[in-house]
Amino acid sequence: MKTFTASSALALLAGLGLASAALADGEFAGITIDAKLIGGQQYEALYARIAEWEAKTGAKVNIVSQKNHFELDKEFKADIASGSITWCVGSNHSSFASQYPALYTDLTPLLPAETVAGFVGANIAAATLDGKLVMLPRAQFDVSALYYQKSLYADPAKAEAFKAEYGYDLAVPETWDQVRDQAVFFSDPPNFYGTQYAGKEEGITGRFYELVVANGGVMFNDDFSPGFNSDAGKQSLQWFVDLYKAGAVPPGTTNYLWDDLGNGFASGTIALNLDWPGWSGFFNDPAASKASGNVGVAPAPKGAAGVRTGWSGFHGFSVTEACANKEAAASLVDFLTNEESQILESSAGPLPTRTAVWDKVIADAAADPYKAEVLAAFQETAKTAFPVPKTPYWIEATNLIYPELQAAILGDKTVDEALQSASDAVDGLMRENGVY
Amino acid sequence: MYRLRLPPWLVLLTPAFVVLLMVIAIPLVLSFYSSFTAFQLTRPETITRWNGSFNYKKALSDVYFWSAFGRTLLLVTVALNLEMLLGLGLALMVAKVTRGQRLLRTMMMFPMMFSPILVGFQFKFIFNDNVGLLNNALQSLGLTDIAIPWLVDGHLAFIAIVTAEVWTSTSVFAILILAGLFAIPQDPVEAARVDGCTPWQTFRYVTLPFLMPFIYIAMAIRSLDVARAYDIVQVMTAGGPARRTELLWTLIGRTGYVDARMGYANAMGYIAILLSIVFTVYFFRKLTTARTSLGMGD
Repeated sequence: MKTFTASSALALLAGLGLASAALADGEFAGITIDAKLIGGQQYEALYARIAEWEAKTGAKVNIVSQKNHFELDKEFKADIASGSITWCVGSNHSSFASQYPALYTDLTPLLPAETVAGFVGANIAAATLDGKLVMLPRAQFDVSALYYQKSLYADPAKAEAFKAEYGYDLAVPETWDQVRDQAVFFSDPPNFYGTQYAGKEEGITGRFYELVVANGGVMFNDDFSPGFNSDAGKQSLQWFVDLYKAGAVPPGTTNYLWDDLGNGFASGTIALNLDWPGWSGFFNDPAASKASGNVGVAPAPKGAAGVRTGWSGFHGFSVTEACANKEAAASLVDFLTNEESQILESSAGPLPTRTAVWDKVIADAAADPYKAEVLAAFQETAKTAFPVPKTPYWIEATNLIYPELQAAILGDKTVDEALQSASDAVDGLMRENGVY
Repeated sequence: MYRLRLPPWLVLLTPAFVVLLMVIAIPLVLSFYSSFTAFQLTRPETITRWNGSFNYKKALSDVYFWSAFGRTLLLVTVALNLEMLLGLGLALMVAKVTRGQRLLRTMMMFPMMFSPILVGFQFKFIFNDNVGLLNNALQSLGLTDIAIPWLVDGHLAFIAIVTAEVWTSTSVFAILILAGLFAIPQDPVEAARVDGCTPWQTFRYVTLPFLMPFIYIAMAIRSLDVARAYDIVQVMTAGGPARRTELLWTLIGRTGYVDARMGYANAMGYIAILLSIVFTVYFFRKLTTARTSLGMGD
């Protein structure tokens, strides 16, 4: 595409120190790009930049829908079903992307190789489905690290009591077994809990998935038959069950999703909390969090196989196959994910997906010890992060798995029974859809 | 040249037929047809993949579908009876008020003005085990020292959902019963008093029979509403945990829109509609009987 010549990109790099693709003045004059974008206050700063792209290219962007990803997902499915894909650019997410195999076009021929090369390789690999680069990741990379209350580790009486009970020194946990021990030790229900976990929908299935991997197992075999009904799977589910039975998590945790967890840790009633990077500022904000000034962040602990948990995902932008102006749409997607855009978004806390922006945010955080600690923990976790399995039936499989995980946690079924039921249900799903 | 002349009544009715066809018949036929296919929202071509009665057999042999069916039936029964009793009490009290009744009637309708989604969030917060109002109040009053898992325990979660439903819709009964109270002829009531009936006997044998048609109309309307309960439950528990609060439409909604299996979801929907039909027929029969006993029947 003429817009994205290597020379123009290099010229801009030289001028701005940023790898932003060049835009020719008025190149897309008269074109209107309809877009369906994820909505929310935290995303508005980026969307405010759209006016710059419009002024430069002469095109107009018409945002026809702004909703959260779950609502957008339903809308996209309705659009596909009714054949009314009249829009060009859509927000996408690595956890949802594989559900729409024909909706989005391959961005590779629409973008110069240098643009794609500027992203973290693992993110581009996760954004590539069946050889198609279906989205460009924005600075909304998610992987979870361990937030903890620092004061718990500075109390000599606690350290002594812990060592007497568990036989090893009380320190920020490096393994999930240590998390379990410490969570039980710190708990004092109903006023204080050792930890908490997302308890429903994709939240708990994702947490289970990453623990299965950390314990040396697989969620799906190579043919996408369920692989989680294994020793690693049982060991992983037992971890959730043990914590619930011990009263080390709030009794309502099986109904919790991300907001409940974030607000729970900010209420100062949770000792250890595996959570996303977007919460780091909130947790340390004195106006919002009782834990502020007492928050430590460590890389995600490791499982029995010596592997860190690292279920990751990221937001991105895609261009529809039905779009009449793919070049203009790709230009917009490129603009919204270029270095300037990523610097803008990551300045508010979210993690970038471009290598150069990672370097910049780490350098900028040198003067802020908390921010530096946050970035170091997340960068370390990101090194071994992994996306959700690339099957269009991931979300549907999570809906079959999570009630069974809940049943084991709440004691309605044994771990063996729950995993067998979940495995049978997912096996049925895959067979019904002709996966094998 | 021959010119087709339609009768005037048909010409006049044609626009109505066309609109009904567009907004009711076509979606119904399409959804009924798709319930016999492997239709997936994300794969439009699957709408032509006929799979006969597979979806229906699958739903009818699915234990989780039937437990959701049974739970929905229980919710309709409990919520309707509670709403009727509370609505009746509320209407009787408001009918006695002589000053400010109009204001009270308006206030009574406030819960109906809230979006069900908002009601769901409101009660989700009230019943939250950790930071919820109810547990904090109970703990502060020294009535308990544990975090009661309102939205986790199957029985407690059912009570929480019924509470939200009753709070938002009791006024439907109250308003309709109040309308009934205003419509009651005063002669039989006064005659009963003159004959020495106690207030309870007057209510039981004179007022209540007059109110029954109104109560059955409210029952019919609300049974359709509760049998389709979705928003409040979806927000409060999403049918969980471990399917403990799964209702027909949380199951069907998730199957259709999250799992994108619209063919299967439509099959479950058509079976679920039977529940609404049974309740509607039952309440209309009761309505006819009540009207007949008052000499209002055909």
